[in-house]
Amino acid sequence: MQERVRISDSQVNTDLTSSIFESSKLYWILVGFLALVVLCGFTAAGYMFNRGLGVTGLNRPVMWGFFITNFVFWIGISHAGVMLSAILRLVQAEWRRPATRAAEVLTVFSLMTAMTMPLIHAGRPWRVAYWVFPYDWARGIYPNVRSALVWDPSAVFTYLTSSILFVYIALIPDFAVLRDRTTGVPHIIYSILSLGWRGSVRQWKLQIIAGILLSAIILPIFVSVHSIVSWDFGTAMSVEAWHSTVFAPYFVIGAVHSGVSAVVTVMIILRWMFHWENYIRREHMDSLAKLLIVVATAWLFFFALEFFFGLYALEGPEVALRELQVFEAPWKWYFLTFLITSYLIPVPMWLIPSVRRNLWLMAFTTILVNVGMWFERFIIIVPGLMRKQAFVFTWGGYTPSIVEVTIITATFAMVSMLVLLFAKVVPLIPIGDAKEGMILHDEIKIGKVMVPAVMREE
Amino acid sequence: MHESHHVVAPSYLDMTAQEITNDVLERHHSPGNQFWTVAMILGGLFVVGLVGLFMLVSDGFDNKSNWGYYAATFAYVFSLSQTAVLVSVALRMAKSHWRRPLARISEMFAIVGVYSFAMLVPLLWVLPSIEGRRSLWFEWPGNTPHIWDTMALGSLVICGLAILYFASLPDLVTDKEVSGKSDEDVSYHPLIPHWFGTPKHWQLQKIVLGLLGGFYFLMLIIVHMLISVDFAMALIPGWKDAIFPAFHAINGIQASIALIIVTMFILRSTSSLGKYLELEQFWALSKILLATCLLWFYFWWSSFFTYWYGRMPAEIGVLKYIMFETYSTVFLLAFTMCFVIPFLILVVNVVRKTIWGPTLAATVILIGTFFNQVRYYVAGFSVEDHTLHVLENLPDFTSPGPIDFMVIVGGISGAVLTYMLGTRLFPIISIWEIKEGLMLQRVRKFMKRDIRVLAKPE
Amino acid sequence: MARKSILGLFDNADSAADATDVLLEAGATQDDFDVLTGSPYPEGAFGEKDPVHHIYVFPIIGALMGLTMALVLTAGTQVAYPMVTGGKPILAFPAMTIICYEGTLLGAVLFTIIGIIFESRLPRLRLDPYDARINEGYIGLLVTTEEEKLDDMERALIRGSALEVVHERGRALRG
Repeated sequence: MQERVRISDSQVNTDLTSSIFESSKLYWILVGFLALVVLCGFTAAGYMFNRGLGVTGLNRPVMWGFFITNFVFWIGISHAGVMLSAILRLVQAEWRRPATRAAEVLTVFSLMTAMTMPLIHAGRPWRVAYWVFPYDWARGIYPNVRSALVWDPSAVFTYLTSSILFVYIALIPDFAVLRDRTTGVPHIIYSILSLGWRGSVRQWKLQIIAGILLSAIILPIFVSVHSIVSWDFGTAMSVEAWHSTVFAPYFVIGAVHSGVSAVVTVMIILRWMFHWENYIRREHMDSLAKLLIVVATAWLFFFALEFFFGLYALEGPEVALRELQVFEAPWKWYFLTFLITSYLIPVPMWLIPSVRRNLWLMAFTTILVNVGMWFERFIIIVPGLMRKQAFVFTWGGYTPSIVEVTIITATFAMVSMLVLLFAKVVPLIPIGDAKEGMILHDEIKIGKVMVPAVMREE
Repeated sequence: MHESHHVVAPSYLDMTAQEITNDVLERHHSPGNQFWTVAMILGGLFVVGLVGLFMLVSDGFDNKSNWGYYAATFAYVFSLSQTAVLVSVALRMAKSHWRRPLARISEMFAIVGVYSFAMLVPLLWVLPSIEGRRSLWFEWPGNTPHIWDTMALGSLVICGLAILYFASLPDLVTDKEVSGKSDEDVSYHPLIPHWFGTPKHWQLQKIVLGLLGGFYFLMLIIVHMLISVDFAMALIPGWKDAIFPAFHAINGIQASIALIIVTMFILRSTSSLGKYLELEQFWALSKILLATCLLWFYFWWSSFFTYWYGRMPAEIGVLKYIMFETYSTVFLLAFTMCFVIPFLILVVNVVRKTIWGPTLAATVILIGTFFNQVRYYVAGFSVEDHTLHVLENLPDFTSPGPIDFMVIVGGISGAVLTYMLGTRLFPIISIWEIKEGLMLQRVRKFMKRDIRVLAKPE
Repeated sequence: MARKSILGLFDNADSAADATDVLLEAGATQDDFDVLTGSPYPEGAFGEKDPVHHIYVFPIIGALMGLTMALVLTAGTQVAYPMVTGGKPILAFPAMTIICYEGTLLGAVLFTIIGIIFESRLPRLRLDPYDARINEGYIGLLVTTEEEKLDDMERALIRGSALEVVHERGRALRG
């Protein structure tokens, strides 16, 4: 059932800029709370820089723990932007409209957060600068372009730059709306940002082309980013469990799964907070849930490939790892949690139409997915290192410290806070897109019913 | 005066439902002399193939290397035909309007599934037991994997036939009514239940097709995994490649889309059905074909890169065998024809938006896919000792002999002949879906231009 | 002869579309008017001229430049420190491919952005007549013609049911 309501352009502008011009007390309380958590995270990081990595749970053989898990997780979340914005734009899915800006913004902030993780993990992040500045000749340190750890920054930087520019270009018409609705300093700032946008035929045509062209270019970047992150593990010979050819698409599809789920969560929160019931409708949740069913099932297939082909050769370290993951506590509980929360609960629920249209249940299932996906990265990374070598005496454990837990929690708070603060500066639903959707909406009379329809130019 | 913007709408929108029914059924009942001439030629080639098969069988099942090209042909026919059905299933789930004319063309390949199942039978005697060698089935007792692969492929074929049947049911009834035959005259009467086209019947059909489609999708991916692993990967020592089943599936999807494009082109050129198979169908499929070309490269690269980077002896042995030494020419042909040439053709917008462009790319892909199958299956069947852990001494390249050529030509001809004979049972264009499209699409005036309106019923 | 602009404001798209015919009858050409809207309409909806652009050149140039820079960076770095790592050759092309791939796409994106901004004729510094109500649902017909024809065009706009004809930058809407 379509729940669309006819709204005037002026009303659309008012509704979608309400997050900028109006603020509820709840909003500021939430931002304040999140800022506090972020501050705790900065404090924990500062403490760690001062005292050294010994305050974390990292040690031989588990040299990568919470920080790298979190890095991979946030890179994963960032994949929602391109999935929803680029792919759905290219296939002309009308239901993408309210999701694209939130997804793109989530991409930018989660990428930024992801990039801080390896820096924090370095222990003395300022030394990372010696790696590239001055380039190539200082202290005999040079970037090894054959290393996956060098490909990472190139990919993440490319993706971050592209995403920021993509968001900006799409924001130009909305900056023009804000320019026309503000005075004083905000008016000047929005005037500069809108570059003098008039809404001429040429400008709109180029906007549409920009959307399609940038979508087509960013798609290969999106596939490459998480593939390259996966090759941090896949090209590593020391951990046999990581040396799998399926890691690249497995990580990418997992990223899409967690990213799209995160966007659904964000959209439900935005709808509630800013009263955008006319723009983020249950039909959008329905379509997103159907997409998630397909993505989640594809993810499960790649997980099955990774798991079974890990055991295929019946190599000692690999078998030991799987035994650890599946049969030994507490890893078996993490493994079970991951499977149940990533797939076994959400997907059967999404098969039920009434669940797909229930915002509480959608929020619940999508949060559950991200809990599971965080565990997924955790049980790939840490158990793999715990059983890295064939020699049993080299096997070790890992217990995260309060410093790591605080920093990880702070990253969630930081992304949430940045999205909320961004909502104070730009509309998180593209205004031009929303209006275009209303123009292209139509109906066809078939017998006694009016069937919703969409106009297509070609 | 400005140029009015012409909208590209399907030609069949100018026809009435009755005209469409008569047009399609006329072609169905009278395919023309050309049809039977081609069928006879294919029949002759099929007989040649049978002779080749007989010669293989009379040589016995012990010398596996004799059966390499037969196995490659089987895999080729299976990949193309069974995955082609998925195209209709997937597009029906996506609710696109442009898929209507090609739905039945795609579903008809389910009939070729019976043929591919028959081709599997001799291979069950050739396939060595899993004792002492790596296998997906570990130590599973009994006739493993023979019985499971047979059951899996059998289930897939039955499911595909069921999809074809239920999707064709309204047209079979229409044909029966239009041809004026009474219940006693129609030879396939027992297969047609009392279909009256009530809303309940249509709803039931939709649910059945949805369920069968979902099941088919899952089964197809599993069968791709079983066939590719049991008949190729598990026969080559040292080859542990988690992404290979997915790569095999994506190659199947790419080739099946190519097959549908070529089939559409042939139908356009040899019949009056061109009015249904227009630029829109070719253009839409060409975009998906381009995406599958990129995915082909991506999955191949994931596999190659992980092996190349790790430089483990077992993996380098596999790379040398199926890519860079023994089967290097075949690999080069496959790579060029499955990726390089089609990508260069399809990446150019102007070429992609033609009928000849996608058809040319599709033809190249069909040839390239065969070479791709050769380098796995012939290579796998040419290995003498499957119990080794590493391929130290690379087997020599098995070049095709006269019997192999007979089997290849006959095998493919038989598949094409099966399809052609299938078109005598079911109308090649889905009449009810075209009529549904008439109802759900309009061309109307929007201000100063014509625009197409597509209904999106829930 | 100096060209000047006026802006006709319409409160619905249909009357704006009809007004373009009135303008053409009054002697304007398709090059003389542009349609300003707060959201994109299907191409040709107002009978306007199809804008010609060359946007597709930009990503190609950008991609080539990005690829070149990435090749120089990766090859140069490896040649500067010719150490064999992991048994790989000094110029390890598969590894270089990764960074060259990213460089190519980054170049393509950067140049596409430049191209979009350039082809959109932004930033726009000329102070044409404009009205903030365009973003509130009004449609603007911006007519640019020789000064002596301006009155004719203004009368044509009024005949075409324009609610208002703006001669200079209009008022901003207070939020």
